[in-house]
Amino acid sequence: MTASNSNSKRILEIIDLHVKVEDKEILKGVNLTINAGEVHAIMGRNGSGKSTLSYTVMGHPRYKVTGGQMLYKGQEISEMSPDERCKLGISLAFQYPVAISGVSVSNFLRKITNSKRGKEIPVKEFRQELKAAMAKLGVKDEFLSRYVNDGFSGGEKKRLEILQLSLLKPSLAVLDETDSGLDIDALKTVSEGVNALASDETAILLITHYQRMLDYVQPDFVHVFQDGKIVTSGGKELALELESRGYDWVTGEPASEPAKV
Amino acid sequence: MSEQAKGPQVSTLAKDQVGGLFATQEPQWLKERRLSAWESYLQAPMPTVKNEDWRSTTVNKLDLGKLYPVKALTKQEAKIQSAKLEASLEKIGEAAAVYMEDYATSTFHIAASKEIAEKKITVLPLAQALAAETTAKDLEKLAALIDAKRGVVQDKFTLMNTALSASGLYVHIPKNTTVTAPVVMALNLPAGAADKAVESSENLAVFPKVIVHVEANSTLKFVSLTTASEASSETAALVNAVVEFHVEAGARVEVAEVTNLTPGTFFVNRVRAYLGRDAQIDFTTAGLGGGQVKSDLETVLEDRGAQAAVKGIVLGAGKEHYAYNTIADHKAPDTTSNIVFRVALKDSSTSIYQGNVVVDKVAQRTDAYQSNKNLLLSRAAKADSIPKLEILADDVKCSHGATVSPVDRDQLFYLMSRGLTRSQSEELIVTGFFQQVLDLIPISGVKDLLAELAASRIEDKM
Repeated sequence: MTASNSNSKRILEIIDLHVKVEDKEILKGVNLTINAGEVHAIMGRNGSGKSTLSYTVMGHPRYKVTGGQMLYKGQEISEMSPDERCKLGISLAFQYPVAISGVSVSNFLRKITNSKRGKEIPVKEFRQELKAAMAKLGVKDEFLSRYVNDGFSGGEKKRLEILQLSLLKPSLAVLDETDSGLDIDALKTVSEGVNALASDETAILLITHYQRMLDYVQPDFVHVFQDGKIVTSGGKELALELESRGYDWVTGEPASEPAKV
Repeated sequence: MSEQAKGPQVSTLAKDQVGGLFATQEPQWLKERRLSAWESYLQAPMPTVKNEDWRSTTVNKLDLGKLYPVKALTKQEAKIQSAKLEASLEKIGEAAAVYMEDYATSTFHIAASKEIAEKKITVLPLAQALAAETTAKDLEKLAALIDAKRGVVQDKFTLMNTALSASGLYVHIPKNTTVTAPVVMALNLPAGAADKAVESSENLAVFPKVIVHVEANSTLKFVSLTTASEASSETAALVNAVVEFHVEAGARVEVAEVTNLTPGTFFVNRVRAYLGRDAQIDFTTAGLGGGQVKSDLETVLEDRGAQAAVKGIVLGAGKEHYAYNTIADHKAPDTTSNIVFRVALKDSSTSIYQGNVVVDKVAQRTDAYQSNKNLLLSRAAKADSIPKLEILADDVKCSHGATVSPVDRDQLFYLMSRGLTRSQSEELIVTGFFQQVLDLIPISGVKDLLAELAASRIEDKM
């Protein structure tokens, strides 16, 4: 679909990717090309392998690549550790961010920002940038002294994920079910945060079960995931079609669960 | 005997030398007490791994025949000589009084703010307190404390301390007195051999005895640092301490003790706090260095409404071994104990934590909580956790929990996905692990000091 674009703008190229988790093959030949300036949405039923793709792109050690290629800006990343991938410009907003008890949000954000940028940012400068990013996401100051994700509500966790990404400024932002657990106001704010990550130089890969976030973050391409691979791709109208007709319309399988919107 | 030419050797120490260890003005009763303790010491068996309390501490590595107990330091220095301690004191902040025994320079240092004199507070080296310069009445009080048996098991190390102690401090706070800044005691061992402390090239043995007496409705902050100048060689040193807090009705004591010794040191530490009616102790211990650290922390809740909060952080490295034993002894109704102990182990360090909660038949409505978490940072590290409950009352609330686990893989992935390396991520996880305990410490300067000491140990070769 976008293979005709020039290589210089290519952000991510996944070719016939196979991934196993504890001897079980989850991804069975994924092909996906993402160029700079594009927003891609991957939709699909729970258990179709969407989240596995996001973990694999970020390099979770439990997910073993058994075949195929994963190229970031032309460079094979399959063997790289998660921190190396982050430093190259890949970031993942987690579906279920873990708590790091005893580590304050402010300390954590400063550490990861310094690490990503490879320099100590002066405290005052960092503070200013942080405050601006927090204001955009409607995050209160008291957030900073709390422990990372410890006792956070679903919405607070998702805000913190996007806040981190806005400081890390990735070239490729992978968002795993960022819309889940958000009420409508939070969804709007978080979506604005996601849109702010988009530019001509960056790309966004948005993984979602429902269409509703796509009202706020407009995808250029929509892919449907089924049984470990992409079974169909299209423009944003595909998402609306899925919303009204269900996944079995695409996959030809009977609905295993009623849509719960 | 050739050993005697070098100095008093523990295993062959003669009677008259035991009696002569303290300053000559030591009262006769104390001399007699030393001698009788010495006789008992000779009879008492050395604890072996077969003793339940010593099951993982290798005592036989400690060659008592090569240890030389130091005599009381007599040379006073106006300034603190150790740069490391100076830095630690700076972190702690303003102190009401500072007492330091520095075996690197064989000097002691004592300084007190005006507050101490104005409020008639006593902060004196124990030897001086026992000497003639205190009033007869004070001496009587002190003698009563020092001689209090209170059911303490007189084992080999306790007897050794009673017989040989020439080190330590006496703190007395009169009733209805508040001391805002902490009283700080520091003990500094020399790097490597103790040749400066004794004329021989053999190993140093120090026997601190600390008595803190806080009378009714008074408050005190007390900080104790046990450190060694620099990374020492494999040379052994023994620190065998007995520390007692006598906290009377309605009084509150906040204590922090920091062990920051070197691989050659064997540290035996016996801490007991006796709490009167509605008395409170908030006690923090930090094990941040030492070859073998064997520490018993006992809170005796003697009267109604007494409360004890005991916190511990331990970060082991190298081949270090830590054995902590907390005892919450509920002897009266409506008493509360809350124990939180966190241990992280690097390299092939090991730890054993035993938590005893003892509730007397009369101690109804006791509320006791005990938690011990252990984080293993290396495959070779080993941690044991043994909770023990001995409850004779029938209306009590007691709970305990213990975990031993390696670093959580999902936490590690989360942090690494943010660009932190594996070791940076582990460091952050361990820092957080301790921070949850540090956040509970009421003495803010100590919080900062411990955070800094822990951080430098975490970063060290991890």
